[in-house]
Amino acid sequence: MATKARKTTLSSSNPANAQLMQLLRPEQPKLFAALALAVAACLLFILQSYLLSVLFARWLTDSQLSAISTTDAVALLTTVLPWLALCLLGRPLLQYGREQLSLRASQQVRLNLRATLLDKLAQAGPGKSRYGSDGSLSSAVLEQVDALDGFISRYYVQRYLVLITPLLLVTATFFYSPLAAVILLITAPLVPVFMILLGNAAAAASQRQLQKLSRMSGRFLDLVRGMPTLQQLQATERASATVANAAGHYRDSSMQVLKLAFLSTAVLEFFSALAIALLALYLGLGLLGILPWAKGEIPVAYQGALFILLLAPEFYAPLRQLGTDYHAKAQAEAAISELTPVLHSQSWQHPGTQQLTLQSAPQLSVEQLQISGDDNRQRLAPLSFSVAAGSRVALQGPSGTGKSSLLHALLGFVPYQGSIMVNQHPLLQLERNHWQQQLGYMAQHSSIAAASIVDNLRLAAPTASDQQLIDILQQVELWPLVRQLPLGLETQLGERGLGLSGGQLQRLALAQLLLQDTKLWLLDEPTAHLDGATAYRLHQLIGKLSQGKSLIIVSHQLHGLDWLDQVVKLPAPSASLNESSQHVSA
Amino acid sequence: MSAPEPVVRLRTLLTSRRSSWLLALLLGAVTLLCAITLLALSGWFISAAALAGLASAAAYGFDYFRPAAIIRLCAIGRTAGRYAERLTSHYAALGLLKDLRVKTFNALANSRSGHHSADTLQRLVADIDLLDQLPLKVIAPWLWALSLSALLLLFWYLLAPALLYSAGLPLLLALFVPLLTFKRATKLAAHETSAAALRRTLLLEPLTMLPALLIWQRWQDKTRQFSAQDQHCLELQRQQQQLSSRCALLQQSILALSLLLLLWQGAQLLAAQALTVPLLLAAALALWALYEVMLPLCQSFIALGMSLAARNRLNQLAKRTVQSQSGKPEPESVLTLTAIQLSARQNGALYGPDNVSFTLQSGSVLLISGASGSGKTTLLQALANQLAVTGTLQLNGLPYSEWQLGQTLGYLSQQADIFDLTLAQNLRLGAPDASDAQLWQVLKDTALHDWAQNQPQQLDTVLGEYGAAVSGGQARRIALARLLLTNRPVLLLDEPFAGLDPDTTQQVLQALLQRQRNGILVIVSHQRLDIPQAQLLQLH
Repeated sequence: MATKARKTTLSSSNPANAQLMQLLRPEQPKLFAALALAVAACLLFILQSYLLSVLFARWLTDSQLSAISTTDAVALLTTVLPWLALCLLGRPLLQYGREQLSLRASQQVRLNLRATLLDKLAQAGPGKSRYGSDGSLSSAVLEQVDALDGFISRYYVQRYLVLITPLLLVTATFFYSPLAAVILLITAPLVPVFMILLGNAAAAASQRQLQKLSRMSGRFLDLVRGMPTLQQLQATERASATVANAAGHYRDSSMQVLKLAFLSTAVLEFFSALAIALLALYLGLGLLGILPWAKGEIPVAYQGALFILLLAPEFYAPLRQLGTDYHAKAQAEAAISELTPVLHSQSWQHPGTQQLTLQSAPQLSVEQLQISGDDNRQRLAPLSFSVAAGSRVALQGPSGTGKSSLLHALLGFVPYQGSIMVNQHPLLQLERNHWQQQLGYMAQHSSIAAASIVDNLRLAAPTASDQQLIDILQQVELWPLVRQLPLGLETQLGERGLGLSGGQLQRLALAQLLLQDTKLWLLDEPTAHLDGATAYRLHQLIGKLSQGKSLIIVSHQLHGLDWLDQVVKLPAPSASLNESSQHVSA
Repeated sequence: MSAPEPVVRLRTLLTSRRSSWLLALLLGAVTLLCAITLLALSGWFISAAALAGLASAAAYGFDYFRPAAIIRLCAIGRTAGRYAERLTSHYAALGLLKDLRVKTFNALANSRSGHHSADTLQRLVADIDLLDQLPLKVIAPWLWALSLSALLLLFWYLLAPALLYSAGLPLLLALFVPLLTFKRATKLAAHETSAAALRRTLLLEPLTMLPALLIWQRWQDKTRQFSAQDQHCLELQRQQQQLSSRCALLQQSILALSLLLLLWQGAQLLAAQALTVPLLLAAALALWALYEVMLPLCQSFIALGMSLAARNRLNQLAKRTVQSQSGKPEPESVLTLTAIQLSARQNGALYGPDNVSFTLQSGSVLLISGASGSGKTTLLQALANQLAVTGTLQLNGLPYSEWQLGQTLGYLSQQADIFDLTLAQNLRLGAPDASDAQLWQVLKDTALHDWAQNQPQQLDTVLGEYGAAVSGGQARRIALARLLLTNRPVLLLDEPFAGLDPDTTQQVLQALLQRQRNGILVIVSHQRLDIPQAQLLQLH
């Protein structure tokens, strides 16, 4: 029955909550152990209050009847004091244990959740940008996962305690004074009602706040990355205004959340203070025998009255604590629903399971291939071409005709209409990981990390020897330069490969490609930033090294690509899908 | 160059909104005092009532109105005070955070930043958030604990000095026990802050190169590295929590000792009839209620450590401040740019352009060509006043350092930054007041007009992070268009035509020459450009 009451009053059965519970399931034993410790601490508290009330009641009666003798007082203390010490010291110890258990549970859940999120993002591949910028994704994986901490380490246990502790205390109270127990019981249920009313509003506000936080950190990263450009444009003041604006919005939304969170605490605080005051008056006037309905009677004797008075603050303490933690709950629910798009992403999964190992250069054929973006903007107008085994093809077309999208589709990251066949096997039937190991890819944005040159090369080929790396660097004409650097292969590159010129970066990226011995190469404008002579030499080099491979290169200039077997011209896409039927291929 | 001013000083965190903070501190102290009084007075009240009730004749003379009124007042004071205190202090703290964010960004804007931007983001968002812990979690709890402990000691002294002598010492001990955590807490906090920054870098970098890592089957390695760092961070957090939990354990034990001593001494005083039972109960309950005030002290030094670490890292940002150019003249519109025996090096590079000489007048064009790695970009950066040079580099006969060049030099780097804003907003970073017609004109000049016309949102098309919704060539031309809108007399363009077909290149070049006919135009390009009047500079 208690469980049912809790479900209907305290936890709204929304999907965010269900999802949180699911995440918590593996850590439940730890959390229940924490709960057991908390209950034990509550029992110790009742004992402690009882002992104190007995002590003072004896003193009071003694002082009334006759003067207290020192020996009496000491004798009393020696029997009570050890037990009191046990209670006073035992409670912090139990609290310590509870905190440790809860923290471990919370950390484990967060660790697992981060791993899940990263897996989901990996499945999305280049499509991860649909969930937000890298800045806001990183803030989701870090801050929003951490926002679950309060829910796990405090709220979860607290929402059981909020029932168990008052019930224990009311039972103890009832033993002395049914009326006092009734006063406590009457005020208690009002609290969750208020909490839910305020809590729902707080949850909505909290979600807005997290969105603002994520938007703000995305804006920061974007502007900070481009700081040299902003400085050059003398636009830092305008950018700073943008930052101030974002920070201002963040403050306003934070204040909204806090106002509600504090209001719910205030309501609880009010009930707690009011009940203590009421009890004190009832018990005090009762002891005086001047209660209007019981004149000349003492309904609760002093020892019982003191016991109840000591218990009363603790009766509301778990509720007050829950009020504070309720905003942790709202925060966690907001965070989890922000994470839901990624967690529940049915992001397009490459369906294939077949492992096709390419023994030699593959043959590709593309039939009526169409790709459209999320926003229904057509990325690639219908296109057909084929690449014979070991033949090398360039894709050409004006900017924005979907050349990169075509390569993404060939990589297995993007869904498409029409067909792509590899050696007569539909690409969609191939297992993506296995397929990707069979090909070499060079992206438009070079894949150079802020690490040493050797680390960057070993990203692509972990087992390559230094000599192999040097050979490769010689092939891409970087070795003469690298050799002269004081640290050679160990030279550190900055973010986005800072330290190398644009051309050198592309050649380093090409070195990464060469380190993988694959039969199919997909190159996305590898020479866009190289000067004519070097581009020519590099194109020639690619020609030499790719002999016997199947190759698709996206390039604007055919200079140095005389070894190509075919050039495919891409048609310009129409503005929207609706007009695609009117499209005339160039 | 003068020593840079620290961006953040802990002192200014409190002085900038002094009245708000004072109000919050006062409200907090009153609230806590109400809470303690409520419990102590209630205890006294029922005990005194019981005494009066036992001596039944006295019961009718017992003044219960005043204590009852005070009890109700305390109940209301506690509720209202807590609410008001929290709102005041958090409003002040969030206002402070807003100021800090802007201040830090501006400091960053005035520095030559060679930092990782992943790291910088961590600093801006997370570190600034940590700074509000100083007033909320360090200063306020200590002030409250100190003042209320003093009041309690005074109360005991007034009841019976013997109470103070026996139970006062452990109370003070419990108050100052958290000081023991100071050293370890600040150290742990510093570790945690830097570990968290590393964790963010280990996450952000793999995210930015996700597709390549997936294809190389290296994504798993990278996530493993991140998870290891994540675990390290969590372990540090656990140690912090353990430190404060242990401190709390010790503190509560000492407070328990204080309570036991109080009762022991109280018993003697009762026997000696130097104290009544109700007053002893009030003394004990006041101590009991003080537990709540003491507990936050155990976490205060961890919070302080976090604030200190955050402050230090923020202040590191402003270390390299750009020399202020204010007060220097701007060059006249008719210009002469002279380089004599000019040499320049990138940071740490071995190669670079050497002994370059040329003279350019307004209206002239310089084409720089050379093999990859011959230093074309380095030379252009030197001309853009972004690198230290040897040799002579003069504008209108005076060295660069004599001029204020912000509005004179326009430099298009190879890595064009397109911001996560709309097309129009991106362009207006160059000229905030440009009309739509001007934007369309410059888009036409950079061969982007047709593309922009075909976008459903046209000028309001959002370009996405790193201009993800546009191709590399388009991004570069958008950056060029933005630069053209600034109307700089000297334009220094690094590979402006990369990724363009010859026809479009010619079209954009003609527009460029037309726009820059009264200024100086320097182009680094690997394409053969047909500009009859241009000077040629071949680097080797």
